[in-house]
Amino acid sequence: MFLRFIDVRKSFAEDAVAVDGVSFDVPRGQFCVVLGSSGAGKSTLLRLVNGMLEPSQGRVEFDGVTVQRRVLAQVQPCIGMVHQQFNLVPRLSVLNNVLAGALPKISTLAALCGLFPIDLRRRACRLLAEVGLGEEHLYRRAANLSGGQQQRVAIARAFILEPQLVLADEPVASLDPETSRVILQLLRDESRQHQSTVLCSLHQVELAVEFADRIVGMRHGRIVFDGPAEEFDEAARRSLYGLRVPRGGDAPGEPHEQAPPEASSPESDPAE
Amino acid sequence: MAEQTPRPTSPDDWRLRKPFSLKLVLTFLAVAVCLAVSARRTEIDKAIYQTAEGLAYAVGLTDEAEVATGWNNVMASAFPLTFSAEREVTRIEGFDRNDLPAFSYLISKPEREYDLDRGEWIETGEIEYLVEPFGYLTHVLWKMVETLEMAVWGTLLALALSIPLAWFSTRGYTWNRGTYFLARAVCSFTRALPELIVAIFCVLLFGFGTIPGVLALGFHCAGFFGKFFADDIENADRGPQDALRSTGAGRIKVFRFAVLPQVTPQFVAYVQYIMERNVRTATVLGIVGAGGIGLELKGRLDLSDYSHVATTLLVIFVTVFVLEQITQSVRGRLIDV
Repeated sequence: MFLRFIDVRKSFAEDAVAVDGVSFDVPRGQFCVVLGSSGAGKSTLLRLVNGMLEPSQGRVEFDGVTVQRRVLAQVQPCIGMVHQQFNLVPRLSVLNNVLAGALPKISTLAALCGLFPIDLRRRACRLLAEVGLGEEHLYRRAANLSGGQQQRVAIARAFILEPQLVLADEPVASLDPETSRVILQLLRDESRQHQSTVLCSLHQVELAVEFADRIVGMRHGRIVFDGPAEEFDEAARRSLYGLRVPRGGDAPGEPHEQAPPEASSPESDPAE
Repeated sequence: MAEQTPRPTSPDDWRLRKPFSLKLVLTFLAVAVCLAVSARRTEIDKAIYQTAEGLAYAVGLTDEAEVATGWNNVMASAFPLTFSAEREVTRIEGFDRNDLPAFSYLISKPEREYDLDRGEWIETGEIEYLVEPFGYLTHVLWKMVETLEMAVWGTLLALALSIPLAWFSTRGYTWNRGTYFLARAVCSFTRALPELIVAIFCVLLFGFGTIPGVLALGFHCAGFFGKFFADDIENADRGPQDALRSTGAGRIKVFRFAVLPQVTPQFVAYVQYIMERNVRTATVLGIVGAGGIGLELKGRLDLSDYSHVATTLLVIFVTVFVLEQITQSVRGRLIDV
């Protein structure tokens, strides 16, 4: 298997367990969505993959190698990442933001001088064209772009090193619904074209069902659903968000923590 | 958790605070007493009296005032300003009577000597002087240029010294808590020592001239740069840094691409501010012997050459004013780096 989570557990304090014994495998080339409400542990799970966090227990295997500090220098450049807040450098140009994703591949001296080889710069241009930006955007500051355009730049940055895996942490949470679809479509197209696997966290059920090959549903740090997108039904939705009956005014998909009759519901979260 | 709602009471029963508390009044009284005692010690009363007297003289209410006498004496000797320089011809090396510098001319003055036997001045001959009409002004302007150069090099030295200071004063870059606190302490220390004190020490070590001035400026401002650079680096948005770090970029690369662009505007503003204040400080550093226009000022003050002092002050004032106008107009554009 390409990416394996083996009984992964991550706690930040005694009583703050973000990921609570998660095991699943992601085969190469899959667009896998981790679905869950805020605080379900999705971001933590993603950050365990590229070594930004270390698991308290268990391990993550990337292409047969256990992710740990010792191998990060080899593993990290193979993993691109897209963030909820885009995390571009606001005052850098679009081109330099994309190139910044290739920093591990150039020498420190070249980096200090801000010099990137021409093939990297050409690749950055191609990627920017792929994500729908033009020559006129190259030297514009990232801060001067709209949210959707910034996320396009961030996607180009994530793909600059031809990553085998792209982590997308709520990539559309700061975008409007229209743009969200466009960006997710773009992310999927890019991953197909570059034969990258995608592990993407989302909290919107509709988007997950529409774009995912497979959905891993998380709640309180545990997996409560794992299956193809088309199998994600009403029961799965309830197990994920703990909604008994969607009532008027409650938008479906909104986390609903204080639902006392939940335990008596026949379709309640089995983990609880 | 239910929000606590206070029991409803009539607005007439709501407790209102007194506008002044006894503590506040007592504090004010105590401060007033302290200031009154201190005012006697620092002769504030005398200062007010003398100033008032001087103002009264200025508008013609009195015929005599201590301040006014001093003012009149200084003004009488300060004006007209001295722009020209006179040099004894015999003391000029390689003097050629047929090839005088531009605009200059020769004058002769009687040479006088005090005859002790007769108890009066007697003329013993004539001395020839070369007069350059703008000689002194040119001299002072060059001293001003030297002062500006001191400010530039002082700023550059401070920048160079501040790089390691800022590096070790920043969490995430420093080695450990020890180096962190040491670097922070050095920053505070250099800022706490006034330039004039540092300059006096440097004059003792390096002798008169521009060297102690540059060193004093650099030493003092290194702590300022170090502290403020470090603070800005620590406060830079973590998001972009994390994004680059997660791809495996090292600390220096992350700094160059995710931190430096964020902090550049503030850094430029700090350098500009320090540059401006270094020009002002460098003008007075000469007073303790650290080169520049201050040295000239000090020398002329000691000789009571007030017309020369006035020229020097005029040059300082005009230069600082012009520089400030320039930096004001450049500021907006520089920030947009």
